[in-house]
Amino acid sequence: MAEEDAMFDPTLIKKKKKKKTAFDIDAALAEGSGDAIENVNNSISNNVADDNKEEDIDDNVDIDLDFSKKKKKKKKPFNMEELESTLPDGKDKEDSALDNITNQDDSIMDDNFDLDFSKTKKKKKKKKDLDELIAEADDKQDDKENVEDSTVSWTGSDRDYTYDELLNRVFEIMRDKNPDMVAGKKQKFVMRPPQVVKIGTKKTSFANFTEICKTLHRQPKHLLDFLLAELGTSGSVDGNSQLIIKGRFQQKQIENVLRRYIKEYVTCHTCRSPDTILQKDTRLFFLQCETCGSRCSVTSIKSGFQAVTAKRAAIRAKTS
Amino acid sequence: MSIQNLQTFDPFADANKGADDDVQDGLVHIRIQQRNGRKTLTTVQGLSSDYDLKKIVRACKKEFACNGTVIEHPEYGEVLQLQGDQRENICQWLTKAGLAKPDQLKVHGF
Repeated sequence: MAEEDAMFDPTLIKKKKKKKTAFDIDAALAEGSGDAIENVNNSISNNVADDNKEEDIDDNVDIDLDFSKKKKKKKKPFNMEELESTLPDGKDKEDSALDNITNQDDSIMDDNFDLDFSKTKKKKKKKKDLDELIAEADDKQDDKENVEDSTVSWTGSDRDYTYDELLNRVFEIMRDKNPDMVAGKKQKFVMRPPQVVKIGTKKTSFANFTEICKTLHRQPKHLLDFLLAELGTSGSVDGNSQLIIKGRFQQKQIENVLRRYIKEYVTCHTCRSPDTILQKDTRLFFLQCETCGSRCSVTSIKSGFQAVTAKRAAIRAKTS
Repeated sequence: MSIQNLQTFDPFADANKGADDDVQDGLVHIRIQQRNGRKTLTTVQGLSSDYDLKKIVRACKKEFACNGTVIEHPEYGEVLQLQGDQRENICQWLTKAGLAKPDQLKVHGF
């Protein structure tokens, strides 16, 4: 800006020349009439004058802030647009004036943003201390920052609020009022991993089977039925309360099946809380939730079609 | 600015979607069974009886490069049986061929 102020006249001329060259192509493409170019030239001079005025004002407004580079970039496209729309001088003036206003608004908005950042950061710290929320991903934090910025950003301005902003505001108020709300964050369901050990080549032992049954508050028989039906094998609980399954299975495979069991028979289908009771009512299993009170039926365990995997000769020998 | 709550919403979209004529109803259970050693067996139960299972098995055998049969079961009807772990393959193939929707497939096993 300082440069432009110092070299006031030369820039005027230079700008004109540049714009002419840039514009000639457009004009040729659009209309190619000489009159239009003349009009445009007039408008250019007006624009440039306005720009310079505007810069002066800006200089007065924000000396410390380095928006100068940004603004230059911003202005150029505006001017180009005006050039392209070959309008009479009066209108162009109005447009440029409007641009001036918008630019100034931008600068003011930027100021607001800068101020808000400091505020939001403080807020965040406080919140963290209060809630002691752990394990939130960095992306989420970034999102939160953005959200808070957006929520605060419209306090000063007169513009209409967007739906997202209002929604975020509501949720933030809700979280502030009752920090231990279940719906707000996912309650983590911590479980010990199943200990799966190979026994020989054909059998697998699930060592902490009864322990897992206890943590899930389910009958061992029910979980056993489910596991055997899903895996399509046979098995039984032995003396030291471990499950022996026929076939070779790895820990992650058992984990997968357990996860499916928990999803279907342990967590509430409505509110996903693990605080549920499984009841048997007239041959059907019902899942009763202790937190939300919902009650829904769950699918019965069926092993379905089982193909013959053993040697047929052996089966024949057994039956006969 | 438009009010976002008042955007047009077709309440019968689901009803229209369900009305089109697909033969498959009910779940297709895809199971896996372990055989001796590392060998496995994939069974597909619950495909609609309107489909020609023999043709399906012929196509599957060619596509997955495995052997397979159709087994008649008194309770579950015709059941597809394929050699090896074909759970992923059969799921993709059934949806691609348009025989079943992804939400109609139920994969069992580990």
